[in-house]
Formats: sequence, C-alpha cells, structure tokens
Amino acid sequence: MKPPMHVAKETDLAAIGFAVSPLQEQQQKTVGKLNELVNAMRSLSVIMETCTKCGICANQCHSYLGTDDFNNIPAARADLVRRIYKRYLTLRGKYLGSYVGAEEFDDQTLTKWLTYFYQCNECRRCARFCPFGIDTAEVTIAARHILSELGIMPKFMQGITANMIKSGNNMGIPKPAIIDCAEFMEEEIKEETGLDIKIPIDKPNSDVLYIPSSADFFTNIDTMIGAAKLFYKLGLNWTISSSILEAANFGLLFNLKVMSEHNDRMKEAALSLGAKLVIQGECGHGWRAAKMYSEGVNGPIPFEIIHILDFCALNLDNLQLRKLPLRVTLHDPCNYARAGEICEQPRQILRACVDEFVEMTPNRDENFCCGGGSGILMDEMMEIRMKLGKMKADQVKALGKIDYLAMPCSICKAQIPNVLSHYGIDIANMGGVMDLVGKAIVLNE
Amino acid sequence: MLNFIGQILPYLAGGIFIAGMGWRLWTWLRTPVPFKMTLSPAPVGTAQRFIKIGQELLIFKTLRQSDRRLWLWAWMMHLCLAAIIGGHITGIYFLGQQFTALGLSINESVKLSTILGSLSGILIFASLVALLYRRTSNAEVKRLSDPADYFDILLLLAVVISGLHMRLTSLEVDLPAIRTYLGSLMTFKPVSTPQNWIFISHYFLVNILLAYLPFSKMLHMTGFFVNKAMMTATPPVYPSSLNASNISAFRKGGVSE
Repeated sequence: MKPPMHVAKETDLAAIGFAVSPLQEQQQKTVGKLNELVNAMRSLSVIMETCTKCGICANQCHSYLGTDDFNNIPAARADLVRRIYKRYLTLRGKYLGSYVGAEEFDDQTLTKWLTYFYQCNECRRCARFCPFGIDTAEVTIAARHILSELGIMPKFMQGITANMIKSGNNMGIPKPAIIDCAEFMEEEIKEETGLDIKIPIDKPNSDVLYIPSSADFFTNIDTMIGAAKLFYKLGLNWTISSSILEAANFGLLFNLKVMSEHNDRMKEAALSLGAKLVIQGECGHGWRAAKMYSEGVNGPIPFEIIHILDFCALNLDNLQLRKLPLRVTLHDPCNYARAGEICEQPRQILRACVDEFVEMTPNRDENFCCGGGSGILMDEMMEIRMKLGKMKADQVKALGKIDYLAMPCSICKAQIPNVLSHYGIDIANMGGVMDLVGKAIVLNE
Repeated sequence: MLNFIGQILPYLAGGIFIAGMGWRLWTWLRTPVPFKMTLSPAPVGTAQRFIKIGQELLIFKTLRQSDRRLWLWAWMMHLCLAAIIGGHITGIYFLGQQFTALGLSINESVKLSTILGSLSGILIFASLVALLYRRTSNAEVKRLSDPADYFDILLLLAVVISGLHMRLTSLEVDLPAIRTYLGSLMTFKPVSTPQNWIFISHYFLVNILLAYLPFSKMLHMTGFFVNKAMMTATPPVYPSSLNASNISAFRKGGVSE
C-alpha cells in the first residue's frame, strides 16, 4: 500500500523542527502518543468508547459517497485508531482481541492512517448526523497529530509550515512582495473608485488587526479589496501584519503544537500593534482554530476576535449597498457552519448585495464539504480530491444557471473551481462573499 | 449453584455495574476539554441546550432525520427498554397494583400491568430481531460489526426471551416471593432464592448483562451525555481571561499529562 500523497523527507522535516522516528520505535511511540491524547482530550476518550457501529455516518459522509472506499466511512475511519486503542490501551482488547475489534499494530497501520486520515476533510458532517454526536474530525486531528509527531506528514503540510516560519504566511510571500501587492490593490481601487483607500502594513497603534488569508494577496485579491473598502467605509484605524498575513492555521490540520504556535503569532501581533480587535478573513478552518482553540491553548486573550463576515453583517446598516444583478448561491464552509457560528451572516450580506440569492440543498449545518477541507489540496491527490468533491458538484448542478458561487474560504476557493470543471459544470464567476461586498458597496455619496 | 446465582452473583454484578459505570464516567470527566467542541449552531442559553439534548434523548431527532427505518426499530427498542425497566421496578414493588393510583381496581391494574409488560416484551423482541437483521443484511454495517456487536444483541435477546417465557407461558411466577427475595437482597437480610428455574434463568442473564454493560458498547448511554454536553457548550467569547492549558500535546514544552 502506497499513500496517495508525497510524504515529507527527513531534510524537509528538520527545516520545521520535526524528526523521523526509527521504525522499531513506531509502535511504542504511536501507542504512547495516543494514550497522551486520550488523556488530554475528553472528546477523543469518549469517541473511543461510544460508537455503536450503526452505520448512519456512511451515507452522510461525502468522502465515502464519493470514493466508495470502506475505510472512508467515518466509523471505519475512526476504527483505524480505535482498534489500536482497544488493543493496547484497554484490558478487554488486550485479552479478547478481535472479538471486541482490537487489532495488532503492524507495518501497515501508519500507512493506513496516512492514507485515510488524509481523505477526511474534518468537515464534522458525521458529528452532525451521528446519534451520539461522534466527531470523526477529532480522531482525524488526533491521528494526523500522532503521525506528524513520528515524523510522518504530507510534503504539502511541511511546505506550508516552512513558508509560515520563513515569511509569516502559507504562500511564502516576503514582506517586499506584500507591500508591492498592497500597492497594486490600492491602484486597482483608485482606478475603480477614484479614492485613495490604503491597505496599511504593520502600522503601529492600530485599533484593528486584519488577518486575511495569504491567498487574498495572490489569487483572491478581490476578497482583500472588498475588506479594504469595508474598513474604509467604516473609518477603521486598521492594519494587516506581515508577521501573520495568514488566517489559515495548518497546524490544526496536522500538528496541534504548530496550531498553538500560529495562534501565539496572532496574539503577539495583535498585542504589539496595540489592536483591541482582531478580524479574521475568509478562511474556514483558520476561523475555527482562532475562535475555538485560542482560549484553551493560547489564553488569556485580551482582545476581541471576530470574523469578517460577522463584522460585516453587524455593520450592514452602516453601509450603502447597491444590488448587483446576479443569481448567487452560497457554499457554506464546513468550519463556519458546523464549527464557527458563521451561518446566517453571509446570507444577510448576500441578500443585501445581489438581486437573487438561492440556497443549495442541503445547506447551513447540513452542507456537504467541497472536498478540499482540512488542507487536502495536494496536486498529486487530484483524482481523490475530485471524488471528495462529487457531492458538492451534484449540489451545484441541481441549481441550474448561477452567475456567482460564493465560497468564503480560501480552501474552498482553491478546490471548487477544479471540481466544477471536472464535472462539467459551468459557472461564470466564483469567489468570496467580501468580493461581492466590494463590488456592491457605494463609497462616494 | 443456586446459592451463587441467588445470593452472591447479584452483589457481584451490581458491584461491577456501579463501579464500572462510575469508573468510566470518572475517567471521562477527569479528562480535560482543552478546546470547545461546540457543533454549530450552538444552542443559546441553558433552556435551548436542554431542549436540544432532550430531543435527541427522547425522540432520537437526528437519527429520525437520516434513516426512518433504523429510527423506528432503534427508538422502539429503547422506548420498550425504558418501559420494561420502569415496569419491573413498579410492577414488582406494587405487585402489579400500581395503576390503582389512576383509579383502576386491583384486578384491572394487574391486568393492565400484564398487558403493558407483555406488549413491551414482544415489541422489544421484534426490534432486537430487526436490528440484528439489519446488522447482517446491510453490507456496510455488516463489515463495520465486530463479534461483540452481535453478542450484545444476542445477550439482550436472551434476556428478553427468558423474560417473555415467564410472561407468556402458563408457568406462573410467584411475584410476591420474588419481591420478598429482591427486597431481602437490598436490605442485606438474605432469604432463600425462589426455586423457579424460568425465573432463575432470566435473573441470571440480567446479572450477566449488568456486569458486562460497562465494558461493552452499551456504554453509549453515558457517552451520549458526556459527548452531547461538549457539543452544545457555549462557544468562547473574547476577550477571554482563561489561562492557557499547558498540556504537552498542544504546546511545545508543555507539561506531559
């Protein structure tokens, strides 16, 4: 069995402070780390004991529906870890073995983990439909964490972490290029509106720190332009920080220590700039990491953290928006709708910005993941990614003609266009929600 | 043997059940919750939280939404189980006369008690058979199942069949004698075990079930509450004065648990 992605080599790992565990230590270390996590995360310890194998999750998981691979059934995926847990960390598994579903650790165990836990998008749809609320994403987070602690991770995750260390963003954009790009966007805005709207970088004594996704300085600049116009309209004293030009927190997707370091970076940047408010840009899992994890791992947090869509929706009354003549639908990023309390806000914004807003089915907390969630954006996994995106393609197809597909998350923005073209669905425009705000907002009264 | 089953096993099984469940719950509750696990949309306020968990507990709301057929059998099974447990407690304590409280005569109450008990028994039998059938006929569920998953259903079926045997065949069970016996167990003043082999077989199986339960997946009844409590927690609000957890899994140089 060969894992479907490029795996980081020893020299790559050293660059981000990780090391490979020798083969003969793998079993002991895996069991040790698993034991540590089971004793550190109540969710995991409950999940290890509570599944009744009812199989309800099978038909709710886009990964299983798209790939038709048994190990992608959430209960089966969780069992990859649960079997090891039972065998080495419970008495009944030790003595009753396969009768209770325990399994020996062998040379395929970690390869299976690497293969299947990187086909879980951590979308939490199984948790939404499980009668006990078992969240397989927790098992995925734990399994990926253990793998990385043993020096096993996709090259993709390693590369992004190396970029983050080097430049403060996942794309590896150095500060001069950030400044260049901000100037370019300022010129674009000037050309369009005739106004001098600034995108300040590292401006001291700012009230607001805006943390965009670095892709907003690269491929999704309309999202950044929309945010800049919004802040201008509201008269905010704001800045972005070159030390954390990244809402995405890939640590959550492969190593929890890296996750907490990223949040530390956010905290330090906000404190050094004197910001009372941190606004997170359009990024799904990054929002979950900032909102749900900062308190427990990086606290105390002396400033407010809010999402750009929440912030924008709260200020809708202070904005003048003209309705764009578009038929628009919204893809709910999983981490907003199931893990971040961002659900009605983008709808309020879209209804204010466009003529016709249509829902895809299912939607909100029942929405299907795009198939790229949890950082499954590796080029070499394209075939699997398209299978993971099949449910999303079906959902969009059912809507008929759409002028604009709003997908306010950088991973969705990287995945969905590929999925739609793969399944032969033609949509004129796609992008963030802030992109539309930027186009609908009236700045010169 | 009768002495063991009647005088020793109940204490053993009861002890294992209480200690086992307590130990399970304690190992979960002592484990920290470093991150809020809230599944959005989070219920607002305690009342909404109770409603959300209550709907899951009482009508299996999400299961009903995703699979009506499984919901029917699973819900009926659990409903009957609750009725049977309640029926055993009141029926044995009041010797079937509990419904006199509702204005029925003693005869009518005993009759109603018998009917309700038999009905619950038959329905739970049917649901367990249906669930067992589903486990073997649904390809995905079949592959997910371990031998223990079948054992759990078969054990429950054995308990139900032996119970129905007492109910539905002409073998009369001396309820007052059983009441006296169970009462004596609880007050630690032993009397002799009723010598009715149908009763003994049912009673033996129930004891085995009790002792087995904390180590089986039937533990999902406690897992349900612990998990749902986490999933419906109020999300963090910032600024937050909470101190960071210092668990080594989450922070470089953190303290190993």
